[in-house]
Amino acid sequence: MDYKNVLTTCVYCGCGCGLYLEVLDGRVIGVWPAKTHEITDGKLCIKGWNIDGFIYHEDRLKTPLIRKDGHLVEASWDEALSLVAEKLGTIKAESGPDSIAFLSSAKGTNEENYLLQKLSRAVIGTNNVDHCARL
Amino acid sequence: MAVEEFEPRIVAFMCNWCTYAGADNAGVARLESPANILPIRVMCSGRISPELVLRTFREGADGVLVMGCHLGDCHYSSGNHRTIKRIPLLKSLLGFAGINPERLQLEWVSAAEGPRFTQVTKAFVERVRTLGPLSEEVAA
Amino acid sequence: MNEQPVPSIIEAIRQTVAERLQELDGVVALRRSSEGVAPHVFQQGDDLSELEIVPRYPLTTVVSRLHKSFPEIRLGIVARGCDERAFVEMAKRNQIDPDRLFILGIACTAEEAEECHCAAPFPKHLVVGKPVAPGSPNPVVAEYDNTPLAKRNAFWRRQFAKCIKCYGCRNICPECFCEDCAMEDPAWVEPGLLAPPFPVFHLIRAMHMASRCVACRQCDLTCPAHIPLTVLYDLMRRDMEATLGYIPGEDIKAPPPLSVTLNEAPLLVNTGHMD
Repeated sequence: MDYKNVLTTCVYCGCGCGLYLEVLDGRVIGVWPAKTHEITDGKLCIKGWNIDGFIYHEDRLKTPLIRKDGHLVEASWDEALSLVAEKLGTIKAESGPDSIAFLSSAKGTNEENYLLQKLSRAVIGTNNVDHCARL
Repeated sequence: MAVEEFEPRIVAFMCNWCTYAGADNAGVARLESPANILPIRVMCSGRISPELVLRTFREGADGVLVMGCHLGDCHYSSGNHRTIKRIPLLKSLLGFAGINPERLQLEWVSAAEGPRFTQVTKAFVERVRTLGPLSEEVAA
Repeated sequence: MNEQPVPSIIEAIRQTVAERLQELDGVVALRRSSEGVAPHVFQQGDDLSELEIVPRYPLTTVVSRLHKSFPEIRLGIVARGCDERAFVEMAKRNQIDPDRLFILGIACTAEEAEECHCAAPFPKHLVVGKPVAPGSPNPVVAEYDNTPLAKRNAFWRRQFAKCIKCYGCRNICPECFCEDCAMEDPAWVEPGLLAPPFPVFHLIRAMHMASRCVACRQCDLTCPAHIPLTVLYDLMRRDMEATLGYIPGEDIKAPPPLSVTLNEAPLLVNTGHMD
């Protein structure tokens, strides 16, 4: 029997509350607020309390999906990324770099956001970069 | 200028076997009961949960009557044992929260007690009338 | 004269846990890591210098989860007075198997008793520490009988207006284990309203706490809006004791009075309906 509480940061907003994921034999079974965390002080909002709701959700994507003949079919990461790179290249060549926009996420890490804007500006050559909260 | 008199809206939960029959008895005997009462038949007064009463207040009732069989007469033998413990506790809780506990009342009315039914309901309506609308005691 | 140094409470409980682990599958207690302090199940071979006793978490909830997942497991718990009371109420409701849980009781300090206004800051199965006097009563509760209805109303309307409906009070409560919670049922609580409707939302929980609240104060500590929930639950507890002679957590053999007949749990006062 392997029981542990793993400290992590809530992904839902910029507050970054500390919480523990309660893990029993490799499966997340609950959430505890982190009482010794300076920000959290042992309290969470409803999103933090339900942070484990999406982990095992049946609607959660497990593989990339590519639309073929009108249906979404499972694909490998290689296949999916190659398709994206090929299409972005085609669109850039045909319609110019500013015909493409990149939308990032406030839930993403600073590092992920940095990479996306690098992809946008350095690889594609457009300043059309923004994030989900602006939608 | 005539001031409209406040007509309390009362919901009365009545147990099927005793009180509902008692209300029927009152009707058959042509005894007048106040029109303020909205009767809701339940199988046993023990079925009345606190959330049901609280939601009833939320939906606009100024007073709630919970009525069932006298002790010993319950069709399910001890359903009203739960009622007799829960309703006074819920009244206390309403009082703690700053809502007049007299807005909730428990009464035993048997199937033969038609006159008692009209007496109880009339008295309760008048009592709630003096207390005023509940909307003045809870947030909008 | 050589005096043996008196071990501190924390050293004494670590020692006790080390001894008991030889015959138990695990002991539920708090563990300190580089990240912070969280509930843990210490097993034989674990480093017991990491065992802590603060800050308080509802450890009985961990026991309940483990008892349900592992029907044979035998556990200990480092328990304060409130943890032991929580265990008693959970055991009555089939959430914990009393034959498979061993209470390693610790006493709260005088400061802790005062902070919680606790009436019983020590468990019956006390193993480490000395019982201290109860904390002074909560001043709001003490004055409540003299507080007029309108003032009580204004007080709670102001308090509940702060509620963000995080369900923290319910999630952290050791006695809240219902799979279908009435506070989430749209039949009783209209969804989509913030602050949640007064008085339905909070009074449902207060009523459900009537025979269960063991005054552990976790709800107070977990409410982000600092709503003094335990004031309401303390008042309910006082009422339960007066009308039914029932004190949650006191007697494992006393059935939950609101669910049973008058023969099993009689009313002590005449509420006017005894005919």
